[in-house]
Amino acid sequence: MNFNDLTKHISGSVDYISIDQNKCNRCGQCILVCIVNLWRKIDNIISISEDYKEKCLECAACYQVCEADAIEFQYPSGGTGIVFEKG
Amino acid sequence: MNAYDIIIVGGGPGGSMAAKTAANLGLKTIFFERGRKPGEKNSSGCGLGPRLWKDFPSMMKELTPEKCPSMRAGSAARNYFVNKEGVVAGYIMNHPTESVSYEPAKSWITMNCYRSEFDPWIADFALEAGAELKTSTLITNLLKKDGKISGVVDEHNNKYEAPIVIGADGAVSMVAKQSGLRTKWALDQITVTPQYDFQASPERIDDIMGDEALAVWWSAIFPASYQVFFHDGFHQGLGNWLNKWDKNPLYYLNRVINLKYYQRLIRTLDAKPRELQSHLLPWLRYPYNTHTDGVILIGDAGGFPCPLEAEGIYPAIVTGKAAAETAAEAISADNFSKDFLSKYDILWKKTSVGEEFEAGEELYNIWKALPFSPQETMTWFVPMFMEVMGGIFDWSQPHAKRVRQIASQIKSYMPKALPFIMKYVFPLLAKIFEEDLDKMMDPQKLMSAIPKIMDLLPKKKKRRDET
Ligand SMILES: Cc1cc2nc3c(=O)[nH]c(=O)nc-3n(C[C@H](O)[C@H](O)[C@H](O)COP(=O)(O)OP(=O)(O)OC[C@H]3O[C@@H](n4cnc5c(N)ncnc54)[C@H](O)[C@@H]3O)c2cc1C
Ligand code: SF4
Ligand code: SF4
Repeated sequence: MNFNDLTKHISGSVDYISIDQNKCNRCGQCILVCIVNLWRKIDNIISISEDYKEKCLECAACYQVCEADAIEFQYPSGGTGIVFEKG
Repeated sequence: MNAYDIIIVGGGPGGSMAAKTAANLGLKTIFFERGRKPGEKNSSGCGLGPRLWKDFPSMMKELTPEKCPSMRAGSAARNYFVNKEGVVAGYIMNHPTESVSYEPAKSWITMNCYRSEFDPWIADFALEAGAELKTSTLITNLLKKDGKISGVVDEHNNKYEAPIVIGADGAVSMVAKQSGLRTKWALDQITVTPQYDFQASPERIDDIMGDEALAVWWSAIFPASYQVFFHDGFHQGLGNWLNKWDKNPLYYLNRVINLKYYQRLIRTLDAKPRELQSHLLPWLRYPYNTHTDGVILIGDAGGFPCPLEAEGIYPAIVTGKAAAETAAEAISADNFSKDFLSKYDILWKKTSVGEEFEAGEELYNIWKALPFSPQETMTWFVPMFMEVMGGIFDWSQPHAKRVRQIASQIKSYMPKALPFIMKYVFPLLAKIFEEDLDKMMDPQKLMSAIPKIMDLLPKKKKRRDET
């Protein structure tokens, strides 16, 4: 199943997820829990996909699971981001 | 000047109930929602519990299919038992039983309705009561004056003042964080729950599912997965605590979808995937740090979902009401101290939600150890349960011999089942019946007795003419 067909997003938010590489211990937990696979490890550096604002489900699981407090998370700007029509 | 008596952050069921209650008590009330309307950012929990109708009858009788077209009564629930081979080894269907004591609980277990419809419906009650709602507004921080909470600020630096702020902002609560009540949940206090919504025609759902508009898929190969039917579709989701995943949660959800049995259900219902959602859901033994100077947390922000099944809408509504009532008293007394606001804890503890948490630890423990530990527990639980349920109606042997076969099979699960019963079932029973366990039964004796009883079962029965 293609995730993009199953989610609807309103664009226009400022950036709302970021990672502090100095705090990240590369445990990979954010990669494990993100339902839509937006986190990745390349050359031992953890990062979030550049187009995350178009795909993120705003569950905040990545933020919650990070015990190193390396992920900064705030919800996207009011009136933007994911819309749950059948939730 | 944006000055109010009370500010509520969040326009979910808890926030709306708090706003309605506060406005009805004559408070100048505002509540904020980051979505363009309430329900747009809903947390997807869709089964409304009957206690809502018991406690808030005049409000709930206005919930009709005209207002919430997705409504479908979960009159009965199916419990599927999936073994470690991924086969549905059996299922049980249940209606509310004869001991259920009031309507509408006698008629249905849950009333299912999309939150995208329910949340705006309940927000309207707050608006009618005179509360002000600001949508498309993300609250980013608390305002403080002389070290005291004095309001909130949004992402565009607009300021709103009030001596008391209710955090109704769900599982990832800005209010909890900025007030110092909680930075993050511990990993064993929060679950992540991905969920698909499928579209299906109302007629097919009527014909194929009938009353059975709820299902739980208990399994040895994924954490328990729930299915909730609405007027024209259904949810299939599953969750587990953040420290319990060894693979991506969606891997396990797709295991449900890919069961042969499930695929057949999808085909007969002619169901099509329509939406993918994922949410955090707090699930803990007992709520803690529920308030501080000038701040009260309710619903998910306060950790109030039921410790057994994480029903969270009813607790959010009950705690929303209790928080607004406490705030009104604080305003009359002009006292917003943590100490004064501890009245809130007294209030909610007296409710049905408080009663639920009296056995919170035991309920939480047993649930976590059973359906949410598929490999450790469900691998023996499912076959043992099915042995009892389905073993006797079998034509492979004379029935008396079958009973002996079943007994000996059950005995083989005892090394795993008995410690489980000791660790989780007895403490729960002791708590529920408020009696010392050894007064009810001596577990030590019971432990040694059960296997002996099993041993007493003769391997072979004497023939009638031999006696
Ligand atoms: C998948 C799933 C299934 C569930 N199933 C059930 C069920 O069947 N029955 C049941 O009773 N419970 C269920 N629950 C639990 C239930 O959904 C929650 O307990 C309930 O929604 C809590 O209500 P609330 O008002 O506290 O928070 P929420 O419903 O989360 O509402 C919070 C609101 O605040 C808004 N908000 C958040 N932050 C800000 C901010 N900074 N500024 C402005 N607005 C903000 C959000 O957009 C949201 O509208 C389920 C939960 C999940 C995740
Ligand atoms: S969870 Fe945190 S510490 Fe672990 S890899 Fe992700 S960002 Fe780094
Ligand atoms: S908020 Fe959820 S969906 Fe978005 S990146 Fe984090 S884990 Fe993935």
